[in-house]
Amino acid sequence: MSATVVATASTVRAAQVQPARAAARQGAPALRRAFAGAQLVQAKQQQRAQRAVGLQVLAVKDGAVLDRPLRVAVIGGGPSGACAAESLAKGGCEAYLIERKMDNCKPCGGAIPICMVEEFDLPMEIIDRRVTKMKMISPSNREVDVGKTLNEKEWIGMCRREVFDDYLRKRASKLGAKLINGLYMGLETKGDGPITIRYNEYKEGDKVGTPTTLEVDIVLGADGANSRVAKDIDAGEYDYAIAFQERIRIPEDKMEYYKDLAEMYVGDDVSPDFYGWVFPKYDHVAVGTGTVVNKTAIKQYQQATRDRAKVKTEGGQIIRVEAHPIPEHPRPRRVKGRVSLVGDAAGYVTKCSGEGIYFAANAYPTPTLSPSLTKRPTQTFLSLTKLSAVAFFSLTGERALRNYLDEFDRKYWATYKVLDILQKVFYRSNPAREAFVELCESNYVQKMTFDSYLYKTVVPGNPLDDVKLLAGTVGSLLRANALRSKDSKSVNVSFGSKSNEEKVTMAST
Amino acid sequence: MMQCATATRTAAAVCARPVAQRTVRCMAAENGAAGTATAVKERKLSPLQRGGTLQGAAAAGKDASEKFKSMAEGAQSTGPVLQLVDGRFSDYRWKNGRWDLSLFKGADGETDWDAVIDAEMARRKLLEDSPIPCTNEDPVLFDTAEIPWWAWVRRFHLPEAEKLNGRAAMVGYVLALFVDQLTGVGLLDQQNSFLGKVLLHVAVFGILLIRSSSDIDKFRGLIDEATFYDKQWNATWEGQERPSE
Repeated sequence: MSATVVATASTVRAAQVQPARAAARQGAPALRRAFAGAQLVQAKQQQRAQRAVGLQVLAVKDGAVLDRPLRVAVIGGGPSGACAAESLAKGGCEAYLIERKMDNCKPCGGAIPICMVEEFDLPMEIIDRRVTKMKMISPSNREVDVGKTLNEKEWIGMCRREVFDDYLRKRASKLGAKLINGLYMGLETKGDGPITIRYNEYKEGDKVGTPTTLEVDIVLGADGANSRVAKDIDAGEYDYAIAFQERIRIPEDKMEYYKDLAEMYVGDDVSPDFYGWVFPKYDHVAVGTGTVVNKTAIKQYQQATRDRAKVKTEGGQIIRVEAHPIPEHPRPRRVKGRVSLVGDAAGYVTKCSGEGIYFAANAYPTPTLSPSLTKRPTQTFLSLTKLSAVAFFSLTGERALRNYLDEFDRKYWATYKVLDILQKVFYRSNPAREAFVELCESNYVQKMTFDSYLYKTVVPGNPLDDVKLLAGTVGSLLRANALRSKDSKSVNVSFGSKSNEEKVTMAST
Repeated sequence: MMQCATATRTAAAVCARPVAQRTVRCMAAENGAAGTATAVKERKLSPLQRGGTLQGAAAAGKDASEKFKSMAEGAQSTGPVLQLVDGRFSDYRWKNGRWDLSLFKGADGETDWDAVIDAEMARRKLLEDSPIPCTNEDPVLFDTAEIPWWAWVRRFHLPEAEKLNGRAAMVGYVLALFVDQLTGVGLLDQQNSFLGKVLLHVAVFGILLIRSSSDIDKFRGLIDEATFYDKQWNATWEGQERPSE
């Protein structure tokens, strides 16, 4: 009897064998229960085995070749999501673009470099203005015209985010991505199986969405600074800045001045660790500022920015007020399993200038990054572009996504680090800002700055000029610091690992 | 503005007394008491009239404000000095967005660079405390590089250099005495050895870098700042094998 029990129990887990054996020794009712228990367990085990066969069909190991297109869900339809969905769709994947608000307009300066226009084939219609002159204004109102070295073909594009985002989304949809108007609610992973996404789909005219699910192989979280996907994969927190902007419609004659000119105001009053801006848009200007260390005083900084530009924007009417968090650095964890973050959700915003659109759009399969990846023999994301007729897809896993992340990090790290150094040196205090503006007067600095901004490569210049620039920098900083009076009421800001309150110290202490 | 306030105060004081005297005298006259050596008690002269308060040239430089200092020095004060008038910075020496260096002549006819530095410092402080809008009509074009390098060195570097040299000398001497006590090697003989020379350099350059005890904290803070961003970016790769390695 005990032998039969052991035989039937052999397919059962060890934990369940012990009670059966023990019960077999005890008594008849217990024995019957034990037998029945074993049988029930066996039946259940058979069911599980059958289901397991079914699951094994769906659960695919990384790198296995599929006989169907790769299914990717991109959560969030901003520049990063739309560009990723477009590349995936162009590559033949089944791309789903889930966006909660089709006319969403993230509060943003809206400046895009020309390399982005070329790389992403953007039409001129979505660019409101082409800025060719930029003014930097120091705390003591010293102005410097930056942009003397730009030629006719070089400019900074200013666009309205609602127009820009909408264009990219529509283009992605035209090229084959399935655009879904829905609010992402959560995702479930089942080992090596497909990822199930839950979202509330907003059908035509619906106020409340209907809960729907979708099964995909890969998820890209492109849902911005307050990313829900990031929370679901425990990506971790990051420091963020608050950017506050007011759109002001100013009279024609004042708008003429801003026709192709943008302004940057630096100073303690405008922001302790960032800058205030006046960027021209379609028929109005956007005046804004931002800060990390003193977010509660953002309204006061905005008022100071408006005051500094008071005369030039006189008679203006505020038509819109907007604010948004901007990440300061990438999240501690950007990939988990087959889910990855891109754009603001990952935290790809540069320091000093606060630029994020270009890096967001370039974060995942794009023409600029994917060619190098196809050189890898295994674990390719889209192993198809070089092949002719039939598209082979291999399933991507965490390893391939990490390869991609590594490529991104290595390609753009120099740009991020240089901007970080600039911020740490020149946004520390009012004298540092004065020195910054003074240095920007030089043609060499202007050329280097614009080359690296417009073409996104850190170009090493002439070594002799670099040495002269270094000497000039040190000289400017020393002079500006010497000119700060002993009882100055301005603040010094540090950029290390201290808490935000500790980063700000009074100059006169 | 201050002058007006003082003026009104003194005027009031001056006026008050004669009125009192006058009223008393009038009353006396009404009373019919002629021979006016009457019950009017002569009040003591005010400090102003006793000459306790200086006026005119004698008072030069005793008033704290810049305006009076420059007036006392006989400068040509044909306008406001370091003031914000109508939301604009105005100073008689500030022309077209620059300091007019010809108006900064010192005693020997050469440009008084210290005064230029003072003026620019005061302008920056003023605008820091009360920022004014930036206008196209009054652009600021003054570049601090217009002030020659030796003026900066003389004003800011030399006093600091004196202090640092003093510190280096004191620290070096004390250390040398200490070493003498320990090893018996005399002060001059210590420098004969290579180690002695090295330590001498360390003492001097050490004082250059670490000028006061607060500098040690500052350096620690700098190292943290320089590496913090790198740490944040590499957080994804922590504990993972980075594909490029």
